This record gives sequence, C-alpha cells and structure tokens, in this order.
Amino acid sequence: MVDMLIMVTINGEAKRFSIAPGDLLLDVLRREAYFGVKRGCETGECGACTVLVNGKPINSCLMFGAQAEGTEILTIEGVAPDGKLDPIQTAFLDHGAVQCGFCTPGMILSARALLAGRPDPTEAEVREALAGNFCRCTGYLKPVEAVLAAAQANREAGLSGARTKSGRSRGQARKRQ
Amino acid sequence: MFDHIECFYRPGTLREALLLLRKLGKRGAIVAGATDIVTRADRSPRFFIDVTHLGLDFVRKNRRGCAIGAATTMMALEKSPITCRLAGGILAKAAATCGSIQNRNMATLGGNLANASPAADTAAVLLALDAQLVVDGSRRKRKIPLAEFYIGPHQTVLNGELIKEIVIPALPGGGRWGWSFQKLGRTETDIALVNAAAGLQADSRGRIKWARIALGAVGPMPLRARAAEKLLIGNALSEELLARAGEVAMGEVSPINDGRASANYRREMSAVLVRRALRECACHAGIPILD
Repeated sequence: MVDMLIMVTINGEAKRFSIAPGDLLLDVLRREAYFGVKRGCETGECGACTVLVNGKPINSCLMFGAQAEGTEILTIEGVAPDGKLDPIQTAFLDHGAVQCGFCTPGMILSARALLAGRPDPTEAEVREALAGNFCRCTGYLKPVEAVLAAAQANREAGLSGARTKSGRSRGQARKRQ
Repeated sequence: MFDHIECFYRPGTLREALLLLRKLGKRGAIVAGATDIVTRADRSPRFFIDVTHLGLDFVRKNRRGCAIGAATTMMALEKSPITCRLAGGILAKAAATCGSIQNRNMATLGGNLANASPAADTAAVLLALDAQLVVDGSRRKRKIPLAEFYIGPHQTVLNGELIKEIVIPALPGGGRWGWSFQKLGRTETDIALVNAAAGLQADSRGRIKWARIALGAVGPMPLRARAAEKLLIGNALSEELLARAGEVAMGEVSPINDGRASANYRREMSAVLVRRALRECACHAGIPILD
C-alpha cells in the first residue's frame, strides 16, 4: 500500500493530507480533528457525516478521501467564521431544534445547501432537503420550522440590506413591510 | 474498512481507465459514486479505478434519441431539462427517488445499472424505454440492450468492460403517448419494495399500438412483463383490461421473501402498480378508459 497526497480546501483553508488509498473521507476529516463530522451509520443512511463538497451535501462515509482531491469542503466548523452564527444555527437554537445535537451539523449543512439554491423554499422542499438526516431525539417538526424561519430571516436581511444600499435605513425598510 | 486497498487510480481518459481495467483484472473495481461499493459485502478488490473524470457526465439529445453518460449523477438526471421532458420525465422521477439528496449527489446512472440490484429504480424505467448500454473494453466495443444485460442478482454480462453511455432510442412517431413510474417503498427515498415503469402509445381511436411494462424488485433482475404488454396491443383500455393486465403481470414475476416484504405481498403489489401505472399513462395520453 502506498500513501497518497491529496490537496483539498476545507472551510476556506488549503490543506494537504497524506491518506491511505482506501480511506473514507469521514475518516480523513475526523483524523484531522474535524469532529463536527459525526460517525453514524457508516452506510449512507443517517446523514450525521454530511459535509458540503463543492457546495453539495454528500455523506462523507460513502466517499473515498481520494475522490475529494481538488474539491472545496465545508464542515460545520466552517459555518460560523469568527464565531458569528449562521442564521440557520440561530434559528435552530431559537426553535429548540437541537436536543442531543448529534444530527445537528448534518442538518445545518443540508439546510445551508438548500437555502443557497432556493432562498424561498416550500415546507416540502425543506423536508426533502432534510430527508437524508436522521434525528432520533426531537423529530423533524422543529428543524423544519427552524429552516423556514432561517430562510425568512435571510430574505429580510437581504431586503433591508438592499434598502440600506439605496439610501434607506434598516428601520425604514422594516417599517415598510 | 478498506485497509487492504493498494492504490486508488483516478484516470483522466477512457483509454487509461481501460488499460487499468485490463491490467488489474478481477483485482480492480470500478468506482463512480461509491455509494454501492462502500456498502457492498465483497471486499476482494485491491485496486479502485475512479471513472468520474472521463468526461462521462452528460445528457445529450439528437434525432436518433438520447444519450446519457454513465457517470451522470442521479441529481443531474433529476435536473436535466432533457430527462425532465423525455418520456413524461419518468427517468428523472425515478432518479429523484434513489436515496437522499446526499446519495443522489454521488450515485451515478451507470453505477445504478452495473450494481445490478433487482430493485434499481432507473433500470425499470430504462427497460420500458428500450435502452441500450454502450460498453467499452480494451479489446472491443459493444452495444448491449438493457434487457440482455442482467444475468442474476448483482450479476451482469460485463467482462472487464465499463459502461460508457446509456442510449435511449427515439420513440416511434405519431399517436398519443403516456408514461408512468410507480414505486412502493417504506419512505419516498427508500429502496423499492416493488417498482414499475410503463409507456403506452394509442392511435386516434384510443387503441393501444405500443406498450411497455417493466417491474423491479420482484425477480432476480428487473424484468419486462411481456405477456401483459401483449394483452394491451390492439385493444381499447377498459377497467377490465387493466385488471387483467395486472393479473397477467403478477404471473410473470418471481419475487422472494426478505426483511422488507414477503413474496406474496410483492406479487400482489405488482398487479396494483401495473394497474396504477397504466392508469397514469392513459391519463397523461388522454386515452379513455371504458367502464
């Protein structure tokens, strides 16, 4: 067996890892201390190991590390740079959508990929986006509500931002709604 | 889990991939989306050959039909405007049920077919569409009708070859067309307990000119219900004919008992899904169903 070198960008940082040819991406990431990537079923069912590869959610337990060469990976550790929570994280906290927390990183990342492509999703779309992330504590109602609330918060922030740019204050933009 | 893998090859050209396949023989395994190979019990391969960098992710349409690269992901099939319009979008619909978004972002069409699960959702659809596989080996190229591709559960006629593309021939012209994909699973994205795909073409008087019925997870491999198809040809649709087609299809399946469902349940559901599929085809094609 010959070790191989892979170059990846993780949470915006360029990285070089020496890996074994049969290493799964999940193993590589956890070995490199990205512990927000959870080891769950290891058969691609539960979604606890979800990361975004080039913006798309995938199960890192079903992808070989070698396949990640040259990609950009986002793990939960990169979602709140400088400690500023993503609106999805804030909404999960506000809605009590976190209990034991094991499924939460995967859910946040799945939701983030959804909202990046569909800023105004329907409830059905949110449920589909989270269908690959199993929760064994709270159920799905609160996470679904949280993602819908985050989408709304994002839109409002975008709206007030736009208004601010055109010369109106945030307060005025809010009032108009 | 894969400590014994000696090398993970990522060829950039088809020629390179074929040379590796030939050199490594049975010790080499093809990896595309990896979703099946990681969960498979067979750990005998010592080398992996990644085929996702060979330019085989495309969906193209021309006068003779449609060609889909073997490394096209389920997600790409769901979103492609070509597959969404082709045959009522049944291939896109089937791809959209192949597991969660995480799985569909990785899993490929060629992989779904080569894995040769009797329950493969895209296989039932492609059987109904008379699809052919363009297969390349280092010594020869050949075209294999999907109907002749499977020889048993998780077994195909491939011999040191890889699937390059899937070709769906253009459909016979004229008449009214209807299509359907039906799937029975524990959840919307779970593996099929039974799946079915059907297509109907009717003349201006509503008589069936062309029919395809394919079923999955009810035999050692995805199958065509040819006797049920034959029953429809030349006839106008009626409730009685739909019921009989379902019964005939039920006689063409040979399901097994497993942890997911009993053979009897699967047999009965074959009839139910065939009826539902034909009804949906008729509805989309505007073919009347007589009482």
